[in-house]
Amino acid sequence: MSGVHSTPLAIEARKLEIGYRGEHTDVTVLTGLDLEVETGQFVCILGPSGCGKSTLLRVVADLLVPLSGQISVLGETPHAIRGRRDVGFVFQDAALLPWRTVRENIRLPLAVGRHSLTREVADKTDELLAMMGLSAFADRHPHQLSGGQRQRVAIARALLGEPRVLLMDEPFGALDEITRDRLNDELLNLWRRTRTTILFVTHSIAEAVYLGERVVVLAANPGRLVADIDIRPVKDHGNRCLREDPAIIAKMAELRQALERAS
Amino acid sequence: MISRPLPVATRTFLPIFGVASILVAWQFLLPAAGVPAYIVPTPTAVARVFGKSGSLLLGNFWPTAIEALAGFFIGNLAAVALAVVFVHSRALQAAYFPVVLFFNTIPILALSPIIILIFGLGMTPKIVIAAIICFFPTLVNMIRGLDSASSNEHELFHILSATRWETFWRLRFPRSLPMLFASLRIASATAVIGAIVGEWIGSDKGLGALIIQATFNYQSDRLYAAIVLSSALSIILFTLVAFFERKLVRY
Repeated sequence: MSGVHSTPLAIEARKLEIGYRGEHTDVTVLTGLDLEVETGQFVCILGPSGCGKSTLLRVVADLLVPLSGQISVLGETPHAIRGRRDVGFVFQDAALLPWRTVRENIRLPLAVGRHSLTREVADKTDELLAMMGLSAFADRHPHQLSGGQRQRVAIARALLGEPRVLLMDEPFGALDEITRDRLNDELLNLWRRTRTTILFVTHSIAEAVYLGERVVVLAANPGRLVADIDIRPVKDHGNRCLREDPAIIAKMAELRQALERAS
Repeated sequence: MISRPLPVATRTFLPIFGVASILVAWQFLLPAAGVPAYIVPTPTAVARVFGKSGSLLLGNFWPTAIEALAGFFIGNLAAVALAVVFVHSRALQAAYFPVVLFFNTIPILALSPIIILIFGLGMTPKIVIAAIICFFPTLVNMIRGLDSASSNEHELFHILSATRWETFWRLRFPRSLPMLFASLRIASATAVIGAIVGEWIGSDKGLGALIIQATFNYQSDRLYAAIVLSSALSIILFTLVAFFERKLVRY
């Protein structure tokens, strides 16, 4: 790494081209991306459908190899870092295994793959269950849970290995607004305690401003970065704010303008 | 308007009433309508065969049961094994699935004499026919079942660096169980059909042989009793499958 930073950047992208290799021509989804995310930052990635925001997360998680450019996660390639459980991923549809109980789902990261997770980590399951308000549901199966509870299980599963980077792909996109607001607050509490680097993809301007210390705005056709807006000036040190605060609403307007200018 | 569910007592009583009403109609109305007993014997006449020639019926029940059960296991195991190979090698699937598909279009009745020519007159050809009849539906269902995990689920396993083996046992296989059991339910009936068809063509033992002999001798009460036993065999197999399904597929 450059050595300018005291700690390695959580995520660093240089001239990143992301897309899918076709037989004749490649389809580019996201072009010319330069991005630096500091360790411990809560970054929201906001953009319309087709801007490549989910695809970017997939590259960080080593689910997709970029067409060109550099990407490093905690100073290493996504591929090198994957086996170490330093990166957690939360999918929009929770992706829980229906034949496993809540507890067994949370422990899936112990059951597969080569990992260095210890007995102590396994014993953390109860702590995670309590933290996510799932203690009473530990032995239930996913189909017996509400959408919000299922997403809490998915988050607990992603947190089991104490990842240093948490990738969240529209995790609350399918939930009702009341549940979504509550989970937003829980996620912020969690982030304040752990200071895990979070990359949170959303298409909701309100959610992006409420959660993020920083919002990266992407536009579609072609997918590209069009704005990188610091939200910290309108929040307190704990990244706290009121949804109705005029300064917050002004930030939302700024983001909306950035999106409109780009389209 | 939404119809209310029936009370439990009524729900239990109605099927019993349904069966009983048909048996009573069969017992009294058919003879009254002039249907001769050598075509349709009364239920009591069929029941009497069980008392009179119980040991004959049972002696022919066991060979069929063993053939159907052995065919059920061999056919389904082979189908599951081939499905596992096919989902892990698209090349092999592309090369050999059409062959299997063609093989499946041959009517089992046309195939049976060949199988008997190959395997002789013992139990083996019946087991083979029962196995073949179970094989194809399970193969198709199992391929679909093993491929039914969502892309997010596969991505989750990729992020966790799961091996192919782990992805198979912890994702693909449990995901396939509902579809596997759907085809096992079908196979529980078709395995019995396969065994009986085999016995028709060349056998002096088993329910199939008994059906043929009883038909030629106009012993229609015995024929019906053999049919009742074949159906009982299917029901037993089906119940076993349903029992294991409830144990294993809990979602």
